[in-house]
Amino acid sequence: MATASETTLVRAPSESGTKWWTRFLDPSERTLAVLLLMPAALLLTLIIVYPVCRLIWTSFQNLSLTSGVPASFAGLENYALMLEDPVFWETTWNTVLITLITVPGALLVGLGLALMANLPFNVKWPVRLSLLIPWALPLSFAGLIFAWFFHSEYGVVNDVLRRLGIEGVIWFNSANWAFAAICLTIIWKTSSFMALIILAGLQTIPRSLYEAAEVDGAGRFRQFFEITLPLLKPSIVVALIFRTITALQTFDIPYTMTRGGPGTSTATLAMYIHQNTVDFLDLGYGSALAVVMFALSMGVTAVYLRMIRAKG
Amino acid sequence: MNFKTTTTLLLAGAAFGLTASAATAQTNLRVFVSSQHRPDVWRKAFDMYEAKNANVKVTIETGGNTSEQQAQYLNTVMTAKDTSLDVMILDVIRPAQYAAAGWTVPFNEVLGNDAANYMKRYLPAYAEANTVDGKIVALPAFADAMFLYYRKDLLEKHGIQPPQTWDQLAAAAKKITEAEKDPNLQGLSFQGRAIEGAVCTFLLPYWSMGKQLVSDGKLSFDKETAVKSLKLWKDFVDQGVAKKNIAEVATDDTRKEFQAGNVVFAVNWSYAWGQFQGAESAVKDKVGVVKLPAVQGGQSASCLGGWEWGVSAYSNNKTEAQKFVQFLSSPEVSEFMAINAALLPQFPEVYTDADVTKAVPWFASARPVVETAKARPVTPRYNEVSEIIRTTVNAVLAGQQTPEEGATQMEGRLRRVLR
Repeated sequence: MATASETTLVRAPSESGTKWWTRFLDPSERTLAVLLLMPAALLLTLIIVYPVCRLIWTSFQNLSLTSGVPASFAGLENYALMLEDPVFWETTWNTVLITLITVPGALLVGLGLALMANLPFNVKWPVRLSLLIPWALPLSFAGLIFAWFFHSEYGVVNDVLRRLGIEGVIWFNSANWAFAAICLTIIWKTSSFMALIILAGLQTIPRSLYEAAEVDGAGRFRQFFEITLPLLKPSIVVALIFRTITALQTFDIPYTMTRGGPGTSTATLAMYIHQNTVDFLDLGYGSALAVVMFALSMGVTAVYLRMIRAKG
Repeated sequence: MNFKTTTTLLLAGAAFGLTASAATAQTNLRVFVSSQHRPDVWRKAFDMYEAKNANVKVTIETGGNTSEQQAQYLNTVMTAKDTSLDVMILDVIRPAQYAAAGWTVPFNEVLGNDAANYMKRYLPAYAEANTVDGKIVALPAFADAMFLYYRKDLLEKHGIQPPQTWDQLAAAAKKITEAEKDPNLQGLSFQGRAIEGAVCTFLLPYWSMGKQLVSDGKLSFDKETAVKSLKLWKDFVDQGVAKKNIAEVATDDTRKEFQAGNVVFAVNWSYAWGQFQGAESAVKDKVGVVKLPAVQGGQSASCLGGWEWGVSAYSNNKTEAQKFVQFLSSPEVSEFMAINAALLPQFPEVYTDADVTKAVPWFASARPVVETAKARPVTPRYNEVSEIIRTTVNAVLAGQQTPEEGATQMEGRLRRVLR
């Protein structure tokens, strides 16, 4: 804070009856810190704190644009309605299930992809590029493409099965098969993101460790579990946090593939929020659902952060 | 050129520009048209208006493939209070809902004391659908109803008359598909995907058995009838009359499959007719169209469709837009659209107009169907009602629920919405 003290010296002989704002011209370290943090704090308040507070406030209101009556305070009514709404429970369960299946799934596939991409190829860029493509593709495109893949009559999946002499299923006609198709698509789409982060982690592991292990007579298998995996842990945790949060917010792929069908058996919480706010214009109820999803994401993030902290 | 002369010239230019625009006072109207209803032909109708009103320029905007997708788009535009859109075409189920949300401007002021008489010119169902608490919230663009399309050639070949009941249809379909031995030939195609069309799928037999879903604004759900309705469709799938993946079939899939020659009977809206007669149709001149079959012992019932013109409450040109809509909703445009786009007229007399019957001969017999078609429940919360019905139909057809389970769930959820 050399400049700060210099200005203090220059301005020192100012009069005793100073105006309140002069302390900003001659800030103490504390004031300077506040001043420097202010823009970021203001921005965060504007784009995160205010909308979240507004969302929570709206969730306590009866606010439906189709009702023709102005908004009124409803207390916990929206939340009470939610608890006895079977579709809320179904979509929440579907969301949790998708998270439980696709996060470990994407981790395993992503780890495999990263290990493959880290092999000493002569030309590296085609491998890296093919790793990037699923990640670069918009989610809804992936959903639409896979919806055609799994189409019972015109889809490539059933066509291949037919050629192998297996009678394919009508994927989107059954809750379980439709769910499986969605999970497969999500794993395909998201594992490349996991692979990218893990690949970055892999490249920070020094060669010398493996050389030392070889000298000590450790096999490939042992090397993987004793060196690679432990050193990858920070990258894996970061990748898991991102993946879990996006999994809890799953929307695009089931929306484009099945629209939640058959019935509501593949609808997610995010889709139900969208349906209530955008289609039904019931902003009060939609906000209450969104608050639950917000709490869910916060809870999961807190658990992960604690995990990182515990590991030091 | 020095600074002074430049400024003077610029100012003079600006002043000239201002007076010029004041003299013509050009109004730009932006109109949303559903992409499935021949925007190209509507464009010609708009050109007619531009020719008569030199100061009005109309821009067309289209989007979305289905009624729900279009509603989603318009919902976003309206909640954002966007001023860029002046006129929008709305599915018959939406004017009440848009009026409740305050998104459309009533026509009462423009129409004056004559409003009631003005509405009497239309088919009664449309006068009703566009009037909410005495306010005229939109004007009809065209009428629509569901019909039974059938393969005239195949029915003649096997000596079968167009069916009067759903049982007759099942028997006829089985007879024809068995005799034809074509593995691609389906007996009946209808809408089983969770889209708006599936609401009508459920209501057709339900209404045919004489029951109503809503009477006097109250839910009058008859569970036994609902079970029978769901069972009727599910039986078609189980008996092989409809294909196994019918839960994947949307309105336009039915149209495409029938057009490709793979369907004997199809439940669809009137728009399909024009496409069946098109150059790339495999069934050109082989298509018959009749009113929908009834449930044994019941009356034939059809679902009332049609689209309406509404003026956005956020438009900057409300008066001009309302005048424009009055033109679009006139017998003149109705006749033009009937002849050129095969859209059913909203005026009773246009059905029997000589030019119209020459271009689309079956319109003469379509009028009684449209006149007796039933409207889906009119409620501001229609989107929720629709979602409940269509997901249940979809779940039952996919075999996820039995018709009994479906009807029970439907009743419970409908009760919550229509309290």
